[in-house]
Amino acid sequence: MPQRYDAVVIGGGHNGLVSAAYLARAGLRTLVLERRHVLGGAAVTEEIVPGFRFSVASYVVSLLRPEIIRDLDLPGHGLRILPLDGTFTPLDDDYLWRTDDHAHTMREIRRWNAADAEAYSEYGMLMVEMARFIKPILGITPLDPRRPDPRDGAPLGSLLRAFSQLPQRQQTAFVQLMTMSAADFLDQWFQTQPLKGTMSASGIIGTYQGVRSPGTAYVLLHHYMGEIDGAFRAWGIPKGGTGGVSESIASSARAFGAEIRTEAPVARILVKDGRATGVVLESGEEIEATSVLASTDAKVTFLDLLEPGTLEPETEASIRRFRFRGSSGKVNLALDGLPDFTCLPGVGEHLRGAISFSPSLDYMEQAYDDAKAGRFSRRPYIDMIIPTLVDPRMAPPGKHIISCFVQYAPYHLAEGTWDDQREAFGDAVIDTIAERAPNIRSLIVGRQVLTPLDIERTMGLTEGNIFQGELSLEQLFLNRPAPGWARFRTPVRDLWLCGSSAHPGGGIMGAPGRIAAFELLRTKGRAA
Amino acid sequence: MSMATVTQLPVPRRWDAIVVGGGHNGLVCAAYLARAGLRTIVLEARDAVGGALATHELVPGARVPVWAHTVGRLRGSIARDLGLAANGLRLVQPQARVTSLLPDGPALTLWADEAATRREIGRLSAADADAWPAFDARVRAIASVISRLAALTPPDPTGAVTRDAAGLQGVAGLLRLGLHVRGMAEADMRDLTRVLPQSIADFLEDHLASEQLRAMLAVRGVRFTSMGPHSAGTAQVFLSDTAGTDAGAAGETVYVRGGPGALAAALASAARRSGAEIRTSSAVTAIRATDAGVSGVVLASGEELLAPIVVSGLDPKRTLMELIDPEVLGPRLGWQAGNLRLGGVTAKLDLALAELPRFRGLPDADATLRLRGRLVVAPSIRYLDVAHDAAKYGRISDQPWLEATIPSLVDPLLVDGAAASGVRHVMSVIVQSAPYALREGSWDEARETLAARAMAVLESVAPGIGTLVVAREVVTPPDLERDLGMTGGHPLHGEPSLDQWFAWRPMLGAARYRLPVPGLYLCASGAHPGGGVTGIPGRNAAREVVADHHRA
Repeated sequence: MPQRYDAVVIGGGHNGLVSAAYLARAGLRTLVLERRHVLGGAAVTEEIVPGFRFSVASYVVSLLRPEIIRDLDLPGHGLRILPLDGTFTPLDDDYLWRTDDHAHTMREIRRWNAADAEAYSEYGMLMVEMARFIKPILGITPLDPRRPDPRDGAPLGSLLRAFSQLPQRQQTAFVQLMTMSAADFLDQWFQTQPLKGTMSASGIIGTYQGVRSPGTAYVLLHHYMGEIDGAFRAWGIPKGGTGGVSESIASSARAFGAEIRTEAPVARILVKDGRATGVVLESGEEIEATSVLASTDAKVTFLDLLEPGTLEPETEASIRRFRFRGSSGKVNLALDGLPDFTCLPGVGEHLRGAISFSPSLDYMEQAYDDAKAGRFSRRPYIDMIIPTLVDPRMAPPGKHIISCFVQYAPYHLAEGTWDDQREAFGDAVIDTIAERAPNIRSLIVGRQVLTPLDIERTMGLTEGNIFQGELSLEQLFLNRPAPGWARFRTPVRDLWLCGSSAHPGGGIMGAPGRIAAFELLRTKGRAA
Repeated sequence: MSMATVTQLPVPRRWDAIVVGGGHNGLVCAAYLARAGLRTIVLEARDAVGGALATHELVPGARVPVWAHTVGRLRGSIARDLGLAANGLRLVQPQARVTSLLPDGPALTLWADEAATRREIGRLSAADADAWPAFDARVRAIASVISRLAALTPPDPTGAVTRDAAGLQGVAGLLRLGLHVRGMAEADMRDLTRVLPQSIADFLEDHLASEQLRAMLAVRGVRFTSMGPHSAGTAQVFLSDTAGTDAGAAGETVYVRGGPGALAAALASAARRSGAEIRTSSAVTAIRATDAGVSGVVLASGEELLAPIVVSGLDPKRTLMELIDPEVLGPRLGWQAGNLRLGGVTAKLDLALAELPRFRGLPDADATLRLRGRLVVAPSIRYLDVAHDAAKYGRISDQPWLEATIPSLVDPLLVDGAAASGVRHVMSVIVQSAPYALREGSWDEARETLAARAMAVLESVAPGIGTLVVAREVVTPPDLERDLGMTGGHPLHGEPSLDQWFAWRPMLGAARYRLPVPGLYLCASGAHPGGGVTGIPGRNAAREVVADHHRA
């Protein structure tokens, strides 16, 4: 006798858990099904080297919506976010080191270029204004251009009104952010190469685009929209790794009455008369549900979990056009001690924040040129953090871990396979670090290299794209994941999309999971 | 200052409108203004009108296009309004639209005749031959929307809701346009928001499989732009190239009999017949303006002309940064104008040839027929990408992509008097990428490097062409800036990228042909809908000028 739920959520990543928590809170009998033995999807903590616990994939948090933290009482369920202060950009014989101490950062940039220091303050204020202005978009459902619904139109209308009331300089900046390349945008403001190189990095994270590709300024802004305790642009690391975020959401969901099962891979979504009626697990077990929510990406959901032929050919073609193109990898290192940078020797505060290998715009763009040719960057962009300096219990006493986000690592290689090139990719990362911190090699006691293929296999993210689909202009808002299907609803009735393939996209934000739950509840006439 | 100096200057004359620059858009604008009854004068710095449309003599008796070598995007309604045929314009449209030449394989020609095109593509890929009609129809459908957009004055989003009724109407008009385009499949309509910001490489990959076919089409998404085939927004550049023509996916190939300069002559004739005055060799050095508005212009000779309306046919950066007093502009507009992106990456190579070269991969039977279209050397998307990569770092491409025409095949009059020079044909070659701002060295040295690299690419598809060259010239981006006044050597008066598009071309708050100084207008490629020989910015600007003039 199959069991019956009001809602079944496929995938226990952070978005799936957020959806489940909201649905359970509204009184729906809700079940989450996770394929792996751990919850969290890409926001997961695992002990890969004995004694060392890694935020295996996703490693910092900033974008998590404050209303989710509040609504689900995540601090009450154990969420602690530890601040990550500053960004250190090492060069051969110099560095650029920005911190939260404004006066220090001003002095530091002035050391490079006085005009840039001037511009930096103004730029920072402008970006905060921009983020404040655009943030409401993260909370709304894209309207349906064919059948405009006044309820959807209202927030958009107020956004338009707000736009017309912005000072013109901000209006211009907004249009530029929506259309320009990160490099062109920054070139308007700054001269200093390490500053531009490092700032441009936010524009390309997770995308198969270069800093000179139009559209990357939006991704730059996307990463400005985070806030921690009301402080914009603040980044932190969850205590216990990013798995800590997922666990707190799971705990909240359970408290609201949701059931969560791990090691319960879904084989297929059941569809009867054009309506989703439940799921069947790989074990053969059938679970019935009034609504099915998929936090899996658009490809997995529509092309793998639905019986072929369920979608109209035209809709299926449209889904197939949704582009993933994973471009990043992850290298996690277990260390005996701390890296020592030639340009600023010793153990200092500069190691406590982000360490960015991004000396210039050209360096960033050349890394992309490699990717376009179908090979990993010989000298990649690396965003490195040493979480054990902030959260020492992630490693045995005196030991450290380093988490390196690496770009570019294109999913599609021109030659060979990722299984053959995994270690070479890891070596390129170590080589790049060793150029600035030569002692790194002697410190390594364990390493984990995650290629886009590994991310696909382990996390189920198609082509290893960390955002469940590229954050390019044509795949945002109305078109995410496909024109006409941007409203969390899918061509199959009672099947909903609640992961990062839906608006507003990826990052540990939780927004798709939250809005999808609200849309479902609204449709069912339930109060959220 | 002596009394004599003062009295030497003529008494300033008054006009209703002064058009600065006699390029094709300036002439179109002046013709429409004069037809609306405005006393209008066009001031052209060079000794002939036409700007980038000019034709010039490479060797005695052999003439080549100075820049634009085809004119198929000229809007038909403008040609009719202005009676260009009656003013001497003759257009020639060959059966072959475009031929992709390879160093090591058969050429591929797209024809005016769809059945012929399909047969040809079928030799390369049966799937693409099957996909072609639907793809072509889709391109036409989307291009028709873009074509309607092109005819509009964009709304002003800076005050769309609260401040500007015109802006609101513009938005309403757009919505109507967007929601009710007749004859367009709903799926196409829905896809519009996805296609416009797409890269041309992705757009083509969604429909076609063959690399040679994709690359020869992708050229039109990146031509004259500082973007690569993977740059967002290049699909829109490609579709705009098709908008308003009957060319479809293959693209237009239309020649002017007598060379493109003959189109400039027809436009000038039409403008004069409408009542506009045209003065050449009259370089404007300043536009007189205060916060209250413009009052006229100053010529290099020191002469002043007065008018309450000044319409600039120059690029927006030059107009604002060089001709307007910076104090009137103010720091914010100065910053905005200073950051307009006008870095040209396109050069041109013109050749006078002793005879028609032999190209690889062309069937003997109809080789000359195929050579009448545009000739593209761009074997793959990757090739286009690599050519663009060099420009990102301020270098000339090792292997530039080329788009050539041999206009003398279509119009033998171009070489009519060149027998004595030993010239039977002329060839006009667009060469990309060749960035205006070189990181190393100067263009004086780089000129020969560029020519050598372009010739090497030509040799690879036409072995022995080098031995046929009687004369050649290279037009570099700095030449474009010096000779035709285009800032940064950008032939489109600014990147046609998404950040300088539609309601923010050339910049936000100035997209309705009105620059932010009262009485100052922009009527050329820096304004919506951008560059190319369409005449639309000129006509749209004239419409706005006349509306304001009647309101005043």
